[in-house]
Amino acid sequence: MPELTRRSLIMAALAGSAAVTLTGCSILPRKASSDGPQQYTGAIGLPDGSFAVGAIAPDGKMLWQSPVNTRCHSGCNRPGKAEVLFFERRPGWAFYVLNSNTGTRLHRIEAAEGEHFVGHGVFSPNGRFLYAPANRYEPGEGIVTVYDSQQGYQRINTFELNGTGPHQITLHPDGQTLIIGLGGILTHPDYDRIKLNLDTMKPALVLMDRHSGQILARFRPSQHQLSTRHVDVAPDGTIFAAYQYQGPAHERPPLVARYRNGRYEEIDFGESVHRELGNYIASVVAHPENDLVAIASPVGGTALVFNSRSGRVVEKAAIADCAGVEALAGGDFLVSSGRGKLVRIGKGQPATEIASMSVQWDHHLV
Amino acid sequence: MKRLTLFLSLCLVSSLAASPLMAADASNSDYRKQWHSDIYTGYQNLATQSQALANQAKTYCQAPSEEGFEQTKQAWLDAFLAWQQVRFVDFGPVEQGNRAWQFQFWPDPKNLIARKATYLLKDEVAITPEKINESGVAVQGFPMVEYLLYDQAFNEGSKALPADRSCELLVGVSNHIADNGEALANDWGDFKNSYVGNDQYTDTTIRAAMAGLELLEERRLATPMGLRGNGKRSVYRADAWRSGASLVAANATVQGLQRQFLPTFLKLLNDRGHADLAGRIEEQSEEVQAKFPELDRPMAPLLADDNQFRMLQSLYVHVSQLTALVNDRAAVELGVVRGFNSSDGD
Repeated sequence: MPELTRRSLIMAALAGSAAVTLTGCSILPRKASSDGPQQYTGAIGLPDGSFAVGAIAPDGKMLWQSPVNTRCHSGCNRPGKAEVLFFERRPGWAFYVLNSNTGTRLHRIEAAEGEHFVGHGVFSPNGRFLYAPANRYEPGEGIVTVYDSQQGYQRINTFELNGTGPHQITLHPDGQTLIIGLGGILTHPDYDRIKLNLDTMKPALVLMDRHSGQILARFRPSQHQLSTRHVDVAPDGTIFAAYQYQGPAHERPPLVARYRNGRYEEIDFGESVHRELGNYIASVVAHPENDLVAIASPVGGTALVFNSRSGRVVEKAAIADCAGVEALAGGDFLVSSGRGKLVRIGKGQPATEIASMSVQWDHHLV
Repeated sequence: MKRLTLFLSLCLVSSLAASPLMAADASNSDYRKQWHSDIYTGYQNLATQSQALANQAKTYCQAPSEEGFEQTKQAWLDAFLAWQQVRFVDFGPVEQGNRAWQFQFWPDPKNLIARKATYLLKDEVAITPEKINESGVAVQGFPMVEYLLYDQAFNEGSKALPADRSCELLVGVSNHIADNGEALANDWGDFKNSYVGNDQYTDTTIRAAMAGLELLEERRLATPMGLRGNGKRSVYRADAWRSGASLVAANATVQGLQRQFLPTFLKLLNDRGHADLAGRIEEQSEEVQAKFPELDRPMAPLLADDNQFRMLQSLYVHVSQLTALVNDRAAVELGVVRGFNSSDGD
């Protein structure tokens, strides 16, 4: 009698409410990146327990929802083409190529034998080559897989990371250097999501040449259990890495690092802020128009904006289950949550709830 | 199609989430003192029962007999149920070295338990404590011992207990469980100051119970009952299907919550002015318990027969209602969030 389940009752309640509620300010602000489409695309969980990728327009209208076989995590827009890619959640057995205007599925590209994706990818500046971190799971080797979108997403190359558990990847403004968060955690699809090597993990921030696959630099966090999962880069080349700490919950290690002018430094937000971050950062985004960086922690239910140079926290908000972050034109950020909220946060004004929808936004917005 | 509702009032949202429990509360540490003590009792019971299993396995293998075999099964069940009572605790020392997974590797859709057992028993190398240490979580816990004691195909084969190598594996894994049980209880004792001294562990403890209830409702009951996924009933998707202990284990989990979690949780609810809710949770947990011992039986026959399936549905509904009261009502009243993203880990 599934109709009696707790979840279906909640879902019925959700379905009965307005699908979209824009509160306060009626229009979502523009995205800061001017070359991408003016829409917000994210993986979503639907009230009936199924999963999709969905895009909303700046007026808050759900433009499309494209059903997917399993829960997705993040993705990337293809420069110069109306295509958006989304990766299945780890262990990701495939990624989806969708028409970003309509949501129509163009391809579902499966991972190669013995490999799975990890939820993220990035394109070369001309939109031709896709770089997707993956796990070669029997030996536990992290790799960057390279696909040619002009040949129907054929696999054309593989770069070794010489480490375990890659996660997010992004491209440096030089157009040549890939920036990869190497989480360091060994997993295997036969063993669910069990972390198999917490005592011996070697996380790192890795810089790689996108043509040769040569590793240009490798920075290690101050403790070996600081899983370096998410990364972003500012237009001036300053790189940010966000950690998820695998040690005891009451310890307060640093959670964000910055690489600038040849120096890799960890940022201390102070004891009280760290307490609100739950040792877990789900997203880090450097604003392309200013010195601000936003992070979101679903575990701590906290999103905050800090100054990239001083590390000083300039705004902070309690947002239950927040995870996705997107930079907005004008200098603010948009934060999404697993409870369907979209919240605007920036410097010098309190966080503002912009929309509430009957979907669960998964980790990232693109 | 999509309705847009504009609120004229505030653009400002001062509080976007209910304030978490860690907000200053002088007596907060008292709740954790009580939780620490109750969970400690549960862990000590696990340590004791695990040691008893190890002793019994050794006794049986030294002088095998039918009676000894049955006594070993009973010792396994007692220790396994002691684990079910504390299984909801998913933080603190049980996280070290994946201890929770060592005690119980599950779910096991690829039947690694059987594959690993076959591999280990075929191997020429001696089954030493080191060998078990390096063999991975599928080898190191209750499901492996359950396989040796209960798996039908295995028990009909040439390697069935008390064959030498199988006995070595039985004793070795049982010792590993006993060592883990003792270490976990000791480490939990040492964890007291960190646990009591850090407000965040109040939230963490509540979230652990919520996750334990959800696991019970969704994966241990709804999934094998065919209420999820492909809609097919399958006992192989339950835990402890080999021993037929899936349901008695579910009962032990609820019993464990009653002993180790609810006393403090209900006090907390009462203190925060939710006495009605506390009362309903207590009653609902008793409703689940009232299904036993009638439902202390293997799940497979209940899945096979629509009339008997109703008994299972009734248990499921009661567990589901308990989960709804704790996870959707009480936790929300207390501002504890277990979210789509926060419980994802990526």
